[in-house]
Amino acid sequence: MDQLELTPPGAVVPFDEMLVDGGQPRATHADMHQTLVSLGAAGLSERARQRDAYLDRHGITFTLGERERPLPMDLVPRLLTPTEWQHIEAGVIQRLHALEAFLADVYGPGHVLDDGLIPRGLVTTSTHFHREAWGIETANKVRIHVSGIDLIRDEAGEFRVLEDNLRNPSGVSYVLENRRTLAHVLPEIFTHHRVRSVNEYPEKLLDALKAAAPPAVRYPTVVVLTPGVHNSAHYEHAFLARHMGVELVEGRDLYCRDNTVWMRTTSGPEPVHVIYRRIDDDFLDPVHLRPDSVLGIPGVVNAARAGRVTIANAIGNGVADDKAVYPYVPALIKYYLNEEPILPNVDTYDLSDPEQREWVLGRLDRMVVKPSDASGGYGLVMGPWATEQQLENVTAEILLNPRGWIAQPVVTFSTCPTVVEEGRLAPRHVDLRPFAVNDGTNVFVLPGGLSRVALPAGSLVVNSSQGGGSKDTWVIDDGSHEDRGPDLSVLEPAQPDASEPGPSDTRALPRYNSPTSHDDRIVQQERQQQQGGSGC
Amino acid sequence: MLSRIAESFFWLGRYVERAEATARLLAEHHQLLVEDRSVPEVEGCAVLLEALSMPTENVYTANELVRVVVGTEVDSSTIAGAVSAARANARAIRDSLSQDTFEALNSAHLALSRGIAFTASPGVALHRVLERLLVVNGVVDWTMPRDEAYHFMVLGRELERIDMVGRLLAIRHDEVWPASGPAAALRAAGALSPFLRTGKPITALDVRRFLVLDATFPRSMRSCAADAEEAVRGLQRTGVSDSGQLLREVGMLRSELEYASVPSPNDIEKFVDESRTAAIRAGDEVNRAFFRQHGTIVWSH
Repeated sequence: MDQLELTPPGAVVPFDEMLVDGGQPRATHADMHQTLVSLGAAGLSERARQRDAYLDRHGITFTLGERERPLPMDLVPRLLTPTEWQHIEAGVIQRLHALEAFLADVYGPGHVLDDGLIPRGLVTTSTHFHREAWGIETANKVRIHVSGIDLIRDEAGEFRVLEDNLRNPSGVSYVLENRRTLAHVLPEIFTHHRVRSVNEYPEKLLDALKAAAPPAVRYPTVVVLTPGVHNSAHYEHAFLARHMGVELVEGRDLYCRDNTVWMRTTSGPEPVHVIYRRIDDDFLDPVHLRPDSVLGIPGVVNAARAGRVTIANAIGNGVADDKAVYPYVPALIKYYLNEEPILPNVDTYDLSDPEQREWVLGRLDRMVVKPSDASGGYGLVMGPWATEQQLENVTAEILLNPRGWIAQPVVTFSTCPTVVEEGRLAPRHVDLRPFAVNDGTNVFVLPGGLSRVALPAGSLVVNSSQGGGSKDTWVIDDGSHEDRGPDLSVLEPAQPDASEPGPSDTRALPRYNSPTSHDDRIVQQERQQQQGGSGC
Repeated sequence: MLSRIAESFFWLGRYVERAEATARLLAEHHQLLVEDRSVPEVEGCAVLLEALSMPTENVYTANELVRVVVGTEVDSSTIAGAVSAARANARAIRDSLSQDTFEALNSAHLALSRGIAFTASPGVALHRVLERLLVVNGVVDWTMPRDEAYHFMVLGRELERIDMVGRLLAIRHDEVWPASGPAAALRAAGALSPFLRTGKPITALDVRRFLVLDATFPRSMRSCAADAEEAVRGLQRTGVSDSGQLLREVGMLRSELEYASVPSPNDIEKFVDESRTAAIRAGDEVNRAFFRQHGTIVWSH
């Protein structure tokens, strides 16, 4: 394995998820390592081929530009121990509680602004701060129904939050598909592990969406709103709708009348109570937001304000995952929860501050700069790998609009062995996006989440829109978490009726077989006939 | 129509269904054993083997389970055996089948007899077999005239399907794997998405109710009974004789499932058992009425 190519000039050696110095597997990874070694490069190549065929056949794709392609899933899973997972889970839940409180505050009384913890100007200048959302009450006080907080592991092995995604985090369908795909094409790698299931996600999501419905509705109708088949995550939208058993709708399928949202169906209009929307805020309602949007539903914001429909995630969440707000999140955790942050941030410089800006611009070739309102890795500039021209351009843009950018030191993410060309294994950088669903009572964090992997050697950009792949992510089950199996109390055991044995032992019933297939005598005689015929 | 030809169509329908349902069940079961390790592998294997009336000795791992259930040509309870038996029946009636039907069946048979790599990734191999069996059903569906032969084939398929759903339910996924079992049972019947569209949560009882009593899902026992009844009525329209008792058998089963009140768990198990025995009685009756109408003929000097 080539460690050299991974190490940017002057940077430290990354933490490897599976191997320690000298290439030996960690104790937790020994069985997995053994399986991979015994498969060898040829075995892994063959399985990679089967995986591609499987993904193609199942149409498990995302759309990049004009092309639909399978999300590259690596054959080597990423493994998290129960202890690591408890730490992540607690950290994610804590952060979400703080961010929920922050959103309720800025779209309500605004105490945090009055107390000066975060500059009012920073909040109001956020691209995703929507005054239209001010004062909209949500039924169960939840705004972040679904979140995907991106974590990385630094060179010391500590998990840190890289960014918050509180609007439309995508990728959860790949978590479920990756598990199925891996079990399908590489079953032996599961042999020595008890891995916590990921299959309950759609059920948890549906429960959370129903819990968010307007209180007067007893049997809420939930829909998934997609921008349409040309969206990069359309596969996921369809996946979630199918697995929740709800309608997948486009904006043109819905309309508002008298502050109620209706769905056009063959049996007439049907009311809709919860919209799990996977379109951006701006496009949601041409009446209040972007007037040229053809994807949205005119009037839906009013319907939400009137408490007749719930929009999930809520409008305006982007102010809390704005990258310029991110440096303040540890302070927000202390402010709202009076707790120390469990998961630390990555050091971040606020470029609207002249002193910090000066310092950052002096060493731009060692920094990562990101637009504060973008996601998906768009617009990101990695100092050590950028050209002079790129650095000049971004400097000019920063000086023009310092509020629009943040800077971070280059963090060396952890690596994980990954299958590269010809079945060879090489370290590639990974991050982790745990998905969390908030139903207003509990935050459910899906065990594992999406591990995205930067496939080009040395690359630190894992976004699927930038050529990243993914890994099945295992949380080892030590039996300590509560059993979340379905409630069996509704199922009384079948009472065998002693007086009447009946046919209850149907398992033992013999199978009926046709007489023609194995009647040796007939076969023999048929053959004789043919031989006799040919002899004449 | 010759009784022998009719019998081959009936068994062609049965074996294709048996092979397909068993392959689906095995693929899903294998995935379940791999993904959910809360139950020892040997026990997980045994429940499937028992449900399929196969011996449980000497099967300890998911891979061995695949080897045994895929099986060989000589045992028509196995996938390879059922495909081989279906092909043997198809050969006997090759002139009445469309070329595509025979070819699809033949390629499934050849793949299985060459022993395509089942142990490395059984899911991949089973999928290939399933695909070919689906082609058989697809071609039959859009090329076969709705004549006597077709009705015999559908009748065989539906009776076998009732039996296979019964075997699937005999696994008791809900008891062995409380967390992932009920969804796996649905997937093994191809019923996950249709079930979810009903808006019910995946509970053990609702899953069993769905697979036994749903009116629209074509693999529920109720739909199978309705389709079997329709096949018998189709046979009557083509003028077969002596179908009264058979119609009574399948019609009573259908109406019992159709007009059932919302059943308790115990009722569900009663329906499962009754349906399977009724399907067996109907099979016997088909045999008596159409294939073996006469007792043994004794020649006397």
